[in-house]
Parts: sequence; structure tokens; C-alpha cells
Amino acid sequence: MAVIRDVIAAFELFQPATVDDAVRLLDQHGADALVLAGGLDSMDWLKDRLKRPRYVVDLSQIKELRGVRDVVGGLEIGAMTPLTEVVRHPLVKDRFGLLMQAAELVASPQIRNQGTIGGNVSQDTRCWYYRGGWNCYRAGGNTCYADTPTAINREHAIFDADRCVAVSPSDTAPALVALDAQMIIRNSRGERVVPAEEYFVGPGIDITRMNTLRPGDLLTAIRIPATWAGAQFYFEKVRDRQVWDFPLVNIASAIKPDGGNIGSMRLVVGAVSCVPRRLKDVETAVAGKPRNEETAKMAGEMAIQGAQPLRYNGYKLPLMRNLVKRAIRGSEGGSWTS
Amino acid sequence: MDFLTWGRNPWGEWVLTHVSWSLFWGSLFAGILFLVAHATYMFLSAHRKRAVAETEALEARYKGLPNEIERHTLVARLFHWVMAASMFVLLFTAFLPIVGVRFPWVAWHWMAGLVLTGSILFHVIHASFWLDFWSIWVGPKDIPEFRAEILRELGHDVPGPKPGKYPLGNRLYHLVIVVAGLTVIASGMFMMVRVRTPLFTRNPYVFSDSTWGFTYVAHGLAGVGLVGLVIAHVYFAVRPDKWWITKSMIFGWITRRQYLEHHEPSRWIVAGGAGSRPAKPSERV
Amino acid sequence: MANKLIGQNYTTPDLVAKVTGKAKYAEDYRVDGMLFCKLLTSPMPHARVKRLDTSKALAMPGVKAILTADDMPGAAAGATLGENVQSTAQAERGLTNEPLYQGEPILAIAATSELEAAEAVEAIDIEFEALPFVVDPIEALRPGSANARTQGNVWVRPPAPAGGRGASGDAARGRGAAPPSPPPPQVTVWKWTEADFANAKEGELPLGKFSDEWSFGNVDDGLKKADLVLDETFMTQSTGHQPLETRTAMAYWQNGKCYLHGSTQSTVQTVASFARWAGIQPNQVVMISEYTGGGFGSKIPGSIFMAIPALLSKKANAPVMMRITREEEHFIGRARPGVIARVKAGFTKDGRITAIDMYAICDNGPYDAQGDARTAGTTISLAYQPQAMRWRGLTVLTNTPPKVSQRAPGGMQGVGIMEPILSKAARRLGIDQVEIRKINAPSGKAPFGPTLPNGKQAYVTSAFVKEALDKGRELFKWDEKKAAFSGKRQGTKARGIGVAVSPFAGGSIGFDALFIIKPDGRIQIQSGIGNLGTHSLFDVHRIVAEMLDVPWEQCDVVFGNTAKNLPWTCVSAGSQTAHAMTRAAHAASTSAIKKLQEIAAKSRGGNPEAYKVAGGKVSGPGGSMTFAQAAQKAIELGGTYDGHEVPEELNNFTKTSAKALAGQGLMGVAKDTYPRDGQSQSYVVGFAAVEVDTETGAVKVLDYTAIGDVGRILNPRGLKGQLFGGSMLGLGHAMTQRWAYDQHYGLALARRFHHNRPPTILDAPTNFIGDAVDLADPETPTGIRGVGEPPVGAAYGAIMNAIADAIGDDAFKRSPVTADILLTSLENGGKRTHETLTAHI
Repeated sequence: MAVIRDVIAAFELFQPATVDDAVRLLDQHGADALVLAGGLDSMDWLKDRLKRPRYVVDLSQIKELRGVRDVVGGLEIGAMTPLTEVVRHPLVKDRFGLLMQAAELVASPQIRNQGTIGGNVSQDTRCWYYRGGWNCYRAGGNTCYADTPTAINREHAIFDADRCVAVSPSDTAPALVALDAQMIIRNSRGERVVPAEEYFVGPGIDITRMNTLRPGDLLTAIRIPATWAGAQFYFEKVRDRQVWDFPLVNIASAIKPDGGNIGSMRLVVGAVSCVPRRLKDVETAVAGKPRNEETAKMAGEMAIQGAQPLRYNGYKLPLMRNLVKRAIRGSEGGSWTS
Repeated sequence: MDFLTWGRNPWGEWVLTHVSWSLFWGSLFAGILFLVAHATYMFLSAHRKRAVAETEALEARYKGLPNEIERHTLVARLFHWVMAASMFVLLFTAFLPIVGVRFPWVAWHWMAGLVLTGSILFHVIHASFWLDFWSIWVGPKDIPEFRAEILRELGHDVPGPKPGKYPLGNRLYHLVIVVAGLTVIASGMFMMVRVRTPLFTRNPYVFSDSTWGFTYVAHGLAGVGLVGLVIAHVYFAVRPDKWWITKSMIFGWITRRQYLEHHEPSRWIVAGGAGSRPAKPSERV
Repeated sequence: MANKLIGQNYTTPDLVAKVTGKAKYAEDYRVDGMLFCKLLTSPMPHARVKRLDTSKALAMPGVKAILTADDMPGAAAGATLGENVQSTAQAERGLTNEPLYQGEPILAIAATSELEAAEAVEAIDIEFEALPFVVDPIEALRPGSANARTQGNVWVRPPAPAGGRGASGDAARGRGAAPPSPPPPQVTVWKWTEADFANAKEGELPLGKFSDEWSFGNVDDGLKKADLVLDETFMTQSTGHQPLETRTAMAYWQNGKCYLHGSTQSTVQTVASFARWAGIQPNQVVMISEYTGGGFGSKIPGSIFMAIPALLSKKANAPVMMRITREEEHFIGRARPGVIARVKAGFTKDGRITAIDMYAICDNGPYDAQGDARTAGTTISLAYQPQAMRWRGLTVLTNTPPKVSQRAPGGMQGVGIMEPILSKAARRLGIDQVEIRKINAPSGKAPFGPTLPNGKQAYVTSAFVKEALDKGRELFKWDEKKAAFSGKRQGTKARGIGVAVSPFAGGSIGFDALFIIKPDGRIQIQSGIGNLGTHSLFDVHRIVAEMLDVPWEQCDVVFGNTAKNLPWTCVSAGSQTAHAMTRAAHAASTSAIKKLQEIAAKSRGGNPEAYKVAGGKVSGPGGSMTFAQAAQKAIELGGTYDGHEVPEELNNFTKTSAKALAGQGLMGVAKDTYPRDGQSQSYVVGFAAVEVDTETGAVKVLDYTAIGDVGRILNPRGLKGQLFGGSMLGLGHAMTQRWAYDQHYGLALARRFHHNRPPTILDAPTNFIGDAVDLADPETPTGIRGVGEPPVGAAYGAIMNAIADAIGDDAFKRSPVTADILLTSLENGGKRTHETLTAHI
């Protein structure tokens, strides 16, 4: 059978108007159904004919999945809320500027108009071997083509590679983990709430999925508790070009100050492992310390302990270290010197 | 049902990737089925040890035998249990994720694989130089025993040789385990270069795609085979009529009576027993 | 010539259609009964089709025809393939049974819908035999390595017949001195030795045997007398052209003619190339291309794959549309060859370059030999005027997508290779960067390239590079920025500035122009230029309005369809059009003015010379005539006046068109026969200021200034557009754009825009200034030269120089200079840490 790309194979399209209908359809069709949110991830798979679902359940008509709601000091964001809406919403800006910054750095304005927050956090990895249709572990085969002596793996993982070295490409995911968000998941048996940190799944646990969603599951909303509202936030994304690019590394942090020092902190780094990497050791180590160069340096070094670079991604170590430093000490000012 | 799973290599050529995991279920059910069938049969059929009178006669004849006869040395027992432990780790880490129990299994699997490999290497060397190497093997000389055992299984009380140190079934099992074990170890050792370990630079390109396909299939076939074999082994170990053997694998010895009841003293020579001559080093237990 | 129109801004007539979406590109056409075609392409970098069974696909409903390599004509030797490249007998044929790169088309299926065609492709029973392959040019030279083609791994030109060395490249051909015809190159097995590799230090290009060489002056003496000698290896990357419009084409047959809707850099010249590719006669071809979504050298003229819908249409007896996807475009859409070069350059302590010894490898892809490595050498010899230079090189075949000229082919690479060396030398010698470039700048009839058989070098028509450097220095505020930026740090930010000089071809000669003054007084201008997004399609014809002194609004430009009787025109490549076609327009206008004068004299009496053409009239002693009256009179007079008789020297293509148009009014038609002393080259100098974040490796271009020495300014808006667009391409090469190939399987990893990372508008410099010295070229009647290509190298070099100024000369030895390269070298005290010799990583 010869291979051809860029022509979507035929499928049956459902456009339910309510979550109940969507859940019923997903329950009915199980693994034969593909959930379509903004389509920025799914359409690639469909166009490349690498995924050929018999049924596609398009969520775009479900109004209840869209919008930002005030929930006692926190927020509940419908999974189908476009990223642009997240960026522009005053409550997001007021309470969780971290998420606003992260969402604003996703891809391009066009993609943010179409892409949803639920889709952004749930998207598949962008490993170009996997997405190129190579039959790797993640695709059900038995080889990681990105971790070989000759592989081109500049954008791959430096932590927790378990056969697969793909990374989480999401910009909003590290922010949501930092904000201790909860993912609201519905299926035919009811609703469950999964902390953002546990929503993401590494290859050791399941090499074919990036998150805990199973066939039949539907991510309906993301709830951000009031816990970190108004904290001191830092988000930075380093990428090759300034628009329409995935992160080489991104970082999201929230600090609650205690006097002049760091009271408590959440620190999450993206694109260094298959899941957003929360640096709990660093969080503990910096608690009670001042936000200065010394603390930053200590944290930076600590953050990259245990990293295992591949042939072309060794730069991610200094990059991650420096971003952790920045998250703690903040960006620098000062005058120009020779 | 497909027994093998095929995939495309990056050039679009069909290559073997795995055995079908339905074979795992097959092996699991075969093991359980055997166990049920055998237990049922044994429940209904006669015992296979010597008649009491015959044993009494042997007791009288081999008065020189000690009360406790060493069946497995400490080293041999240690090997057995290390191997057993690693085998269980290997099987559980291999197959639990397939049945849906998800955990990071790869590191446990290859480390257990190394333990198994090490213990087997030790065993081969130990058995070659310190144990009666041939006592476990099967050959043409075993045909009479085979015939007698089969007939006994079918309820006939026939004369004929009783087993030497290792009953024929035991030895046949060992043979199958040797084949499956060496296959799984050899293929597994090669597969080590495909996962990240501190031992090698990860390199799936040391073999061609199709060679890897065969390696995976060999590993998979031996692996699923081991599921059935291990079930059978565990089953026999826990059968009340085999406890005396199981115990010997723990404590190292069997009683004089068990020795005479189940073995042919002439085929398993013990100091003070049949032939009563100083045992050659190679025969020492 | 006045400058009522020339040098003035205006809005081109096609602009509204382009920005409103009314413009129709090849893909926008629909014809009754039209089928769609999909391609089956090679999954391997090099293979042979072992088994092919199309029966199952053919039996599918909706499938109408399948085209295979057996249906294609043989390789069209002699076809034009970009700038100065001609195809050989080993050229591609559009479809193949021995694919030489992943993505090479094997067969095409026409069906009633794309979905059916795609499903039919999947139903094709095909088996390939994998053949040895190589995707890295240096790897291809290792002893015992695989060859990209069964015949070998390097294009080698057999020794030229009497006439001497160096007579085979672009420097000697086409742009000035008449060259002897070079023997065609051949694919040969050519390997370096283990010792060659062992003798090179890590990161240095081994100096193994080479196949091609030219020189002038005494290089060894030059290096000996130098006060400073630098020896550097640098790798430039291969990049796809990535025009926004892929090479989609639609074709149908009517009355024995093939009507082809396609995307091309020349409406007129695509007829011959397409006819050759499809194996039909040029007079069977009607080429329709009103709008082309960019070419950048990848559609000169058109594309070989146009033959597929044409032949499939014949086979299926129905129109066939072949839409090319972005991923297919990555493979069949052509690419710039990466050049790896080692340069030894000697400098006096005053900064003058005494000698350059250059050794260059061209990553050629699997098909016809490209001249990029060689042009890189001639460009360097022109831009920096060394007292002596030797160039040696190899054109190495790889199983990567076919390479072809890309905007400043070889020129951009040459500038990128040499500029960092010049900057390093300036720093070592304590000379200002602008100064060292002025010291070595070409001026006047500057010589360049090899010593020719006549014992001399070729030379240019003019060069005002020093003037451009001075103008740029002022507009960019170089001296101010040098004090404020150069080598300065603020916290984690390091700033730097850089300047670069970039010459490239600026025009050709000898084409035709054709227009008619109609009896209604309007001027109908026939244009064979491809509409690929530049303004030149219309700009050049403003010469006619300028010379006839009529408002531009009185002119109608007919373009985009060879059935509309177009004149013989240059391809819009090599920055030729503005130069070549303004000359032709000048010639045709001159002929029309003469005819107007003669008609006026005939009608009103007196001497033709006494009549003047101005204000839309021809006036003189006997009174005046409107153009409308003159046109009517021309028709009455016939002969040369209305085009029934045309100059003998016209191209046959023009003659045919003129014949069809004869009798419609007063015909202005002529061939450009103006003399030219030297080769037309244009120049752009670039100035860049960048900020590097030393903690993330991120680079921001703060300011960029491009100053052209491109002759008289034809259209200021067009000039700025070309300067900006070309600079962005150079910026992409300096900072973001790349290919990636898995070396084990020889397959492309970066296949789409977001993998290849061409720069976006947010990567553009915060402040951009584009201007020109506006000095007329003395060797063309209009004073105008092209501007399309030189901006690319200028930005490429200037931005890399600015990065080096910010963080050190030795931080990088390849492009694009990305965050990973900068960060790892910053971690290692500014030393290079990346691989210099591995391509496509």
C-alpha cells in the first residue's frame, strides 16, 4: 500500500449541541471516535491519514463548553474557550496573569482564535518522527527514532525519557500546573476531577498517550482555584521565531512572597520532558529564601540535576537552568556596560 | 487470529514488530487449562510413588543412608530463588502493562533481566563444573523411564526405572525452560541497546529493521511461553504431593524415605546407598 | 528620459485583485469535467521500483487514468533550469522508476475527486528496492561511502577543449565576455582519502581532491606577504524556496493545443521549457499564468511537474488539476544548495585583502549541477576585490530534494562565508567594519572572477559600493550605534552591530518589447513577464509612458497568457527584468517615437526630426497629431507602422505575436541592441544591530538598514519592497530557516513551514530602512539595474556579523545561528561547540 498524505479520509461527523450528547456519542463509539476541538492538532493527523477515525465528534457547537466563569475567587474555564478569549478575559488577567501570558504566546493570532484551551493542554507531542508517521513506540511500534546516535533531536526531552523522548509542546500546560488547576473530565459514568499535575502522563506509564483521557472521556472545563490568584508570576517561552513556534523550553512560576522572601512557590518547566515538569525540590529549597541571584543560582543548578541530554539538545540544560534563575530573581535591568 | 504483529519501517516496508499479545492470553489460558486438567486427573488417578512394601524393602537394603539426603546445595537453591524472583519481576513488568496495569516498567524489566542473565550464567558454569551436569538432561537412555512414567500416569502399575535425581518430567521441563530462557535472554540482551541504560549508547540501528523484527518475535514468543511454563511450575510446586520437592528447594534435603519412595537409588547414587562406593566428584550432590 | 514616472511611487494595476482575493492563481481555475490528480511519491531516499501493479487502482470507480514514468518523454537535455544551469541527459523527467530523493513522484492518478485519487494511490501495489543513499555531502566523499546515484557522487566537468581553465562557470558565461561552450559535466565516483579527513582539524573542511578550479593573480605570494592570515570553515544551509503558491498546475487539450494554467517566473519562456518536458511542440502550448505566488528561483521557467497534468489530461481525455500540497512542495519545490567552504584569507595591516584561497563543496541534490559554490567564489572576488584569488570546488550529489537557484544563488552563500572572516580581521587589525569594507570595495568597472582566455578578468558595468556604504553609515547612524552598542552588555543582554556587502547579478540584455498605440489613443503594452509578486511586471513598461509622455493611466498592460501575443521576454530571475526589459521598452519606445514623427511629417509636412512627441501628441512645424490620429494613419500606411513589417533581429516569438497584432494601430516593437561594456551587477550593503539574550540565546534584530547600488530608482515602493523581502530571506538564513534530515533513513524531518521556520513578520527588524544611492548605471540607456537578489546576502552577512560582534567571533561556524548554538558556545567560553560539517541538522 503506497502512502499518501494531505487528503483527509472520509469519516462520519457529529456535531452535538450539548455535553450530554457528546458524552453519549463518545461512549457509543469509544476508540473509533476522535474528539475535535479547535482542530489545530487533530486536522494534522486527519490530513496525514495517520489517524482514521470512523467518527469525529466536533465540539464546536456546544455552548456550555465555552466561556470563563468566576468561581469563588478562582475561575472555571470551559474547555472549548478559544485561547484569544482566555487572553482577553479581564478575570484571567486580574487573577492569573500567568495563564494570560502563556496563552498569548501560543502559536499565532490566527491559531489562538481557533485553538482552544482544552485542546492546547491536551494536544499530542510534536516530535517530528512521530508526527511524520514513523512507526515509533508512541505510534505502536518498538523503536524511538529520535533517540539514536544519528537522530535529530534538538527539540526533545532531557528528563524522564522512557523509551520515548518526546516532549509536551503546550504553553498553557505549565501555567495550569503552576496554578494548581483541576481538569474536569466527563464520561458516561459521570464526572471526575484530576489535578493538572496528574492529568499529564509520561511514556513510562502510557507511551501512546500524553494525558489521562481515555476513549469516552471528555475534558469539559479547567478549574483554577483561588490559591494562587494574584501571586507574583513569571512566564517565559524561548522559541526559534517570534510567532507560530513551539517552545524550545518554557517556564511558569508563581510566588507568594513572605516579607522580602519567597513564602511559597510553584515552578513548572515545559518542553523538557513528556509532561510539564514541576520542580518540587526547587520549590521546597527556595521557600523562605530571598529572591536574589544567589537563590536563583542555587535553584537553577538544582533544577537540571539528573538531566540526560541527547545528541543535539544539550543546550536545554543551560536554557532550563537560566529560565529557572530568571523565574526566581526576575528579569534584570541595569545600564549598558562594556 | 494473527500471531505476529507487523508494522511499517520508516521506508514503508513491512517489518515484524511483535508477537501478537493475544498469544499472551493464549499462553496464560493454556497454563491454567493444563493446571486444571492435571489437577482433575490427579485427583481421580492413582499415586505414582512406590508401593509401601517395596519402599520398606529398600529401607532395609540401604541402611547406610543418612536420614536427610541433600538434594540441592545452598548455592543451587540461592540460584533458583534469585532466578525465580527475577523471572517473576520480568513477567509482571512485561505483562501487567499489557493487561492494563500501567506503571514505568522498563527499568525494572531490564534490571531484572540482567539479574536473570547473571544468575543463569552462574548456573551454567556452576552446573558444568560443580554439579552432575548430565543429571538434568534428557537423552535416548531415558526412553524406558519415559515409557514407564507414561504408563504410570495412565494408572498402570508397571515395573521399570524410577527417576534418578530428577524425574523425567522435571528434566523435560528444564529443557523447555532452557530453550525459552536462553531465547528470551539472548534476544533481551540485544534489546538492551534499544532502551536507555547506563551500559550502552542507545542504538536501535545495530541491526536491520527485519533482524530486530525477528528478535522481538523471539523475545515475545519465549516470553509468552514462559507465562505458561511458570504457571505449570508454580502449580507443581504447590501441589501437596510435590511439597517434598518444593521443601527441598527451600531446605536443601529430602528424607531417606522420600528418596527411596520416589527415586531409583541406582540412578541417583547417594553415599551409603546403592553401589555404596565413594562418589566421584562429578556425582557429588 | 524624463522622470515624471520613473522614480515615482504608484499603484500597480494588479494590486487590488491581489489584496481582495480576486486574483486567480492556477488552483483557482475550474473547467467542465475537470479531474484531480494525486501523486504517489517515493518513501525512500534512493530506490528502484521492483514491482508495480496498478490494476486494483484502475478498477476503482472514479479513477480515469494513471501516468507512470513510461509515459514521460526522455530527459530534456539543454533545458533551462534556473540561472546558468542547463539540464543534461541525467536530468529529472517528472516521474521516475528510480527515485533519487524521498518525495520524488513515481506516478500520478487522475480521478473525479481528490479523495478518490488519494484512495487509488493507496490501492497501488508497489514494491521498492532500497538502494544506497547519502544525504550529507561530506559523508558522500568519505572513502567507501554510498553514492547518491548509481553512476557516482560528484558532477565533474571533463577538461575543457582548448581555451583554458575556468571557462566553464557563470562568471565566464552569459554576463559579459563571450565564453567557449563548456563540455557538459558528468556524474563520476569521487572520494577523498582517510588521510584527507585525518589532516583536517575538528570542524575544518578537509582539503581533498577537487574537480573544478579557477584563479587570478598569485595566491601563494598574496598569503605570504599578508600581515594576518585567517583560515575558517563555514557551512551555509540548504533551504527550500517555499513560495506561498505551491507548483499547482492544471491542463487541458483543445484543438491540438495544450492549455496550461501554472505558476511561473516567466509567462513567455515557460512555453519552450514546458513543451520540452511534456515532449510536445512549443506551438502546441498556451501558457496561462496571470498571478504567481512567488518563485524565488524555483519556477524558472515553470516546473517540470507541469508535464504531469498535461500528459495525464491527454491520457484521460479530460482537464486535469494537480494541486501540490505544502509537504509535496517541500520535496519537489526545489531548494538552495548548502555550501560548505574553507577560506584562507590574507590581510595587510591596513585591512587590504591580499589573497583569498577558497575551497567549496556544493550540496547539489541528485540532479543537474548547480553553480552555487562557484558563484560564491566569483561573488567574493567582486565584493571584496582581493588582489589574488583561487577557487577550488566540488559539486557533490546527495539524495535530497533537487537544488536550484534561490534568490542570490551562490551569492548569498559567498557573502555569508566571507563576511564573518572580514569582520574578524577588522577586529584583529583594529579597523572599523565599514572602513575595511570600503578599503576592499569594488568601484567603477571592477574586475571579478577568473582570468579569462584573453588574459583578463571579466568586469562590471559600474559599482558605487563606497557611496552606498557612506549613505548607509549615515542613515543607520553607524558611528553612534558603534559607541552605544558594540560589545556592550546590560545584564543578560549583549548587543552588537554588523555590516555586509553583497553583490549579485543585476541585468541581462537582448530582449524584445512590443506595444500598440491604438486608434482610441490608448497604449496597449504586451508583457511576457511572469507576475511573481514583484512590481517589475508593470514597472518596466512605465518607460513607454515616460518616453511617449503620456499618463500611465492611458496604458493597458496585457499579460499572463501566451495566446494574447506577447513579446520575447527575459525570465524574472537573476534580477534581470528591471534592467533587460526597461532597455527593450526603451528601444520599442524609440521606434514608436520615430514612427510617430514620420507619420506626422507625412501627414502634416516637414521633416520628421522637427516633430516632438510630448503631451500625448506629436507636434512640429506642420501642426500636431494626437496619438489616436497617428494610430489611424499608421493602420492606413501599414508596413512597419502598424506591424506588418517588423525588424529582422526580433525573436521569432515576438515576430509571431507582432504578426497577430499587426494592423491594430501604431506598433512600437524592437529588440534591445544597445551596447553594454561589462556585466551588470547590483549591490546592497546591509547594516544590522542585534540584541542577544545570553541566558536564552534568543536574538532580536533591532535595526536594519539596506542601501542599494542598483542604478536609477525605477519605483521607490518596489525598491523598498524588494529590499525588505530580500532582507527577510537573508534574516531567515541567518537566524531561523533550516532543513533536517534523518541520516539513518535519509528522510526529511522538517517538511512543513513550522518545521522549516522561515522568518515571520514578528521576526522582522524593529526598525527597517531601505534606500538606494540612485546613481545611474552608465551602460544602459535607462540607468536602471535589478535589485531582487543582492539584499539577501547583505542581511545574511550583516546579521551574523552583528551577532558575532555581540558575543564573539568564534561562537558559530554555521547558519542558521540559533539559540542552541549560541547558548552552548556561551557555556563554553565563546568557543564553537556545534558540528560544522554535518548538513541538515
